[in-house]
Amino acid sequence: MSENSPQPDLVYALACTARRDAQASSRSCFAARGSGLYRSDDGGQTWTHSYASLALGEALPTTSVVIASASAGAEQNPATDCEVFAGVPGGIMHSTDGGETWEAAILDTPPPAVSALAISPNFAEDGVVLAASTEDGIFRSATRGSRWARWNFGLLDLNVYCLAISPDFARDETLFAGVETGVFRSTNGGRAWREIDLSVGYEPVVSLALSPRYAQDGHIFVGTETQGLLFSADDGASWTRLGEDAITDPVNSVLVSPEYPDQPSILALSENALWFSQDGGGTWDQVKPVMEGMTAVLAPDGLSPGTRLLVGFIGGDVISLTLEL
Amino acid sequence: MASSTKKWQKPHVVFQPEVHRGMSRGIDQIVSAVRPTLGPLPRIVLYDRTIGGTGRIPELLDDGGTIARRIIQIPGRNADVGAMLVRQVLWTLREEVGDGTATAAVLFQAVYREGVHYLASGGSAMRLRTYLERALPGIIDDLSSMALRVEGKEQLAQLATAISLDPEMGKLLGEIFDIIGEYGRLEIRKGRTRSYEREYVEGMYWEGGLLSRAQITDQARQRTELQNAAVLMTDLDIEDPRELVPAITACVQQGIEDLAIIARKMSDMVVGMLVMNRERGKIKIHAVGIKTPGISTTDQRAALMDMAVLTGGRPLFRAAGDTLRDVKARDLGRARRIWADKSNFGIIGGKGDPRELRAHITHLRNLFSSISSGDERQELQERIGKLMGGSATLYVGGITETELDYNKEQATRAAEAMRGAMRDGVLPGGGAALLAARRTLLARPTTSDEPEEYAARQILAKALQAPTRVLLENAGYEAGEILGRLENAAPGTGFDVLKGELTNMEESGILDITTVVIAAVRSAVRSAAMALTTDVVVHRAQAPESLST
Repeated sequence: MSENSPQPDLVYALACTARRDAQASSRSCFAARGSGLYRSDDGGQTWTHSYASLALGEALPTTSVVIASASAGAEQNPATDCEVFAGVPGGIMHSTDGGETWEAAILDTPPPAVSALAISPNFAEDGVVLAASTEDGIFRSATRGSRWARWNFGLLDLNVYCLAISPDFARDETLFAGVETGVFRSTNGGRAWREIDLSVGYEPVVSLALSPRYAQDGHIFVGTETQGLLFSADDGASWTRLGEDAITDPVNSVLVSPEYPDQPSILALSENALWFSQDGGGTWDQVKPVMEGMTAVLAPDGLSPGTRLLVGFIGGDVISLTLEL
Repeated sequence: MASSTKKWQKPHVVFQPEVHRGMSRGIDQIVSAVRPTLGPLPRIVLYDRTIGGTGRIPELLDDGGTIARRIIQIPGRNADVGAMLVRQVLWTLREEVGDGTATAAVLFQAVYREGVHYLASGGSAMRLRTYLERALPGIIDDLSSMALRVEGKEQLAQLATAISLDPEMGKLLGEIFDIIGEYGRLEIRKGRTRSYEREYVEGMYWEGGLLSRAQITDQARQRTELQNAAVLMTDLDIEDPRELVPAITACVQQGIEDLAIIARKMSDMVVGMLVMNRERGKIKIHAVGIKTPGISTTDQRAALMDMAVLTGGRPLFRAAGDTLRDVKARDLGRARRIWADKSNFGIIGGKGDPRELRAHITHLRNLFSSISSGDERQELQERIGKLMGGSATLYVGGITETELDYNKEQATRAAEAMRGAMRDGVLPGGGAALLAARRTLLARPTTSDEPEEYAARQILAKALQAPTRVLLENAGYEAGEILGRLENAAPGTGFDVLKGELTNMEESGILDITTVVIAAVRSAVRSAAMALTTDVVVHRAQAPESLST
C-alpha cells in the first residue's frame, strides 16, 4: 500500500489514542476502510497501511476499529494505549503494539460482517470487548479478544449497526445496541439484552452516543436513518427529536463533548453535512466548509469551535479540519 | 362381599361442635409440622421412610408443601378431615407458585382458630365467611401496591439466596435469571461435582432430532450443521422423494445450498435420496430431515408457528390441506445456522421479521397472563423462553444422591419463585408487608354494623401478624416484645432475625416474592373461611375394598 494515497474506497470508522497530556499531532489515529486499516502518527496528515506486517496478498476490508484507551471513561493506562481491535469479515484483528503486528480471532461460521466494536473503559482490568454484526448479533470477549462468543439473549433483532458503552461500565455494565428495528440495552456487560421503547418508525438506528455522565444523567443520543437525531434525558423512557428542521438525512455518527453536560456540544454527521450544537441540541449550525460524501467523523481533542476534526469520506480520504461554523 | 358393601353404605355423620374441634386438631397437627420451616433459620423435618424394612434412608424436608404431601393420614377421622384440607391447600400452592406454604399454613391456622372462637360465641359462619372474603381484595391490593421491582444480578442473587438458603446456588440463579429473563429456558440437572456449574446455550432448540442417523455429517460430535439454510416446516409425512422437488427447485433457484426439512415423518426412500444426493448428487443441495417437535397436533402446530415467525417462512399444515407440491420459495424460512443431532435441533439467527417476532412474543405473553392452568402456562413460558434467544442449564452440586436430589428440588423451587418475583416484583420480607397490610386493614372504615364484619377484621389482623410471630419464635426470639416495637416502627421496617435488629427490609435485601405472598394470603384466607362454614362431616363407615389401598 502506497503511503499518502489511500485507495478509492470507504471510511467506515476512525479512532485515536486518547492521551490527554500528549500533543494531538503525536497521537496514533486509525482509519478503518474498505481497503484495510490505516494508521497515522502525525494527526491525520499521512497514513500508512497498518496490516503491512501481515504481507497480505489482497486488501482486508476493515469495517470498525477501537482503541482501548480511547473508550469514554477509560483511565490513562500505558498498557492499553497500544491495544487496537479492528473488525474484518468473519473475524476480529487484535494488536497489542499500536497496530504494528496483529493476531486474528476467527468468529463462528458463517462468517459474520462486523459492523461496530466497543471496548470496556475498564479494559485493563476486565478485558471486555464487544463486536456487533449485521446478521449475527453481538459477540463478546472477556479475554482481551482471544476468545469470542455470541451473546444474544433477548436480542430479538440480530442486525446490529452500532454500539455505545457506558463510561461507568465497570460499575453499571451497561451498553446499548442500535439495530434494524430499534435499540436494545444490556445491563450485564453485553450478555443479555432488553429492548428500549422506541416508537415504531424511528428505526433503523445507525448511530448511538451516551453522555460522559450517563450513569448520573441517563442522557442517550440516537442517530436514525429516517428520523434524524433522537434524544432521551431519562435513560430511554421517552424520546424527543433534535434539530428536526436541520437534520433530515440519516445520522451516521453522533459525537458528544467529553465535557458534556457542562459544555453541551453535540456533533451529528449525515452524508452531506456536519451539524453542530452548542446548547444540547436546541439549535444547530452546519460546520464549514460544506462537504459531500462524509462517512465518519472523530473529534480527538474535544468538541468546541476551533478544535480539530478528522473526517472520512466515500472514496477513502480522511481529512483533518478545524471545527468552524 | 355383600356385607362389606352394606357397611360402606352406612355413613357416620358428625355434627358441631365436634366438627370444629376435630378439624382444629388436624389443622394444628399439620401446621405444627410445617411451621418450623418458616423463616431464614428454619428447622428440618425428617421423613421416616423405613417402613417395611426397605432400608431407605430418611428424607430431609424444609418445604411446607412437601412436608404436607408426605402426611397422608393422621389419627382421628375428624382430625384427618382438617389435616387433609390444609394438605390440599398447601400442595396446590406449592404447585402453583413454588413457595409460601409455611406462611399459608400459619395464616390458615390463625384464621380458622380465631374463627372457631368467634363462632363458638354464636356468630354466623356464612356471614363471617362473607366478610373475610370481602376484606381479601383490599389486603391484596395493598400488598400489590407495595411491590418493588427486582433487577440486576445482585438483587436477583440476594433474592435467590433468600429462597434457597444456599448462597452458592443463589449467586448462580441470580446470574442466570439476569441473563435469561423471567421467561427464559432453564434446565436444572444433577451435576457431577460438589460445586454448582452453569452453561448457556445460544439460539433456540427443540426436541426432535434427525430423522435418520445416516444424515449425521460430523461424526465426532454426532450432529449435522447447516449454514445460511432454508427451512421447510410441516407436519406432513413425506413418503415420495418427488414431493420434495418443488422445495429443492426453489432452493436451487435462490442459490441456497443447505435445506432443513422439518417433517413429521420421512420414508426410508426419501432419506436415502437425501443422503445419496449429498454424497453423489449433481444438485448441490445438502438437505436433512428433522422430526417435527411435539407429540400432539397442538404441540406440533405451536412449534411450527414459532419456527415460522423465527425464520420468516410459512408452515405447511395437513389440517389446512397444504401439500409439498405447492411449496414456493417464499414458504421457506431462512436461518444463519441450523444444527441437529439424534434428539434435538436448533436454529440460530433466524431471518424472520424482528417486528413480527416481537409481536408474536407479546401475543404469547398476553396469553400467559390471561390463563391460569399451570400446564398451559408452563408450555407458554417454554415457548416464550425459546424465542428469546437462548437457554441455560444449572448443574447442582452435591456429594450424595440424597444431597443432589435435595439441591435439585431446592433449585427448581427457587427458580419457579424467581420467575414470579421478576414478573410481579417483591415485597418487604420477614412478614413486614403483611404487618403493613394489617395496619391498613385496621385503619379502613367499616361498611356495616354487623358484628361479623368487625370479627372478620380482627381475625384477619391477628392472622396477618401470625407469620412474623412464628418466624421470630422459630429464630428463638420473644415475639410479643418485638411485635410491639414493630407496631410503632416506620413503614417497611421488619426484624432481621439473623442480626437481631429492626431494619428497613428493602434496604437490607430481605424480600419476599409478591406473587407468593399474595397467593399464600388468598388461598389461606379463602380456604379457612370455607372450612369455617363446614358444619357437618359425613364419614364412610368403611372404605370399599377397591378403594382402601
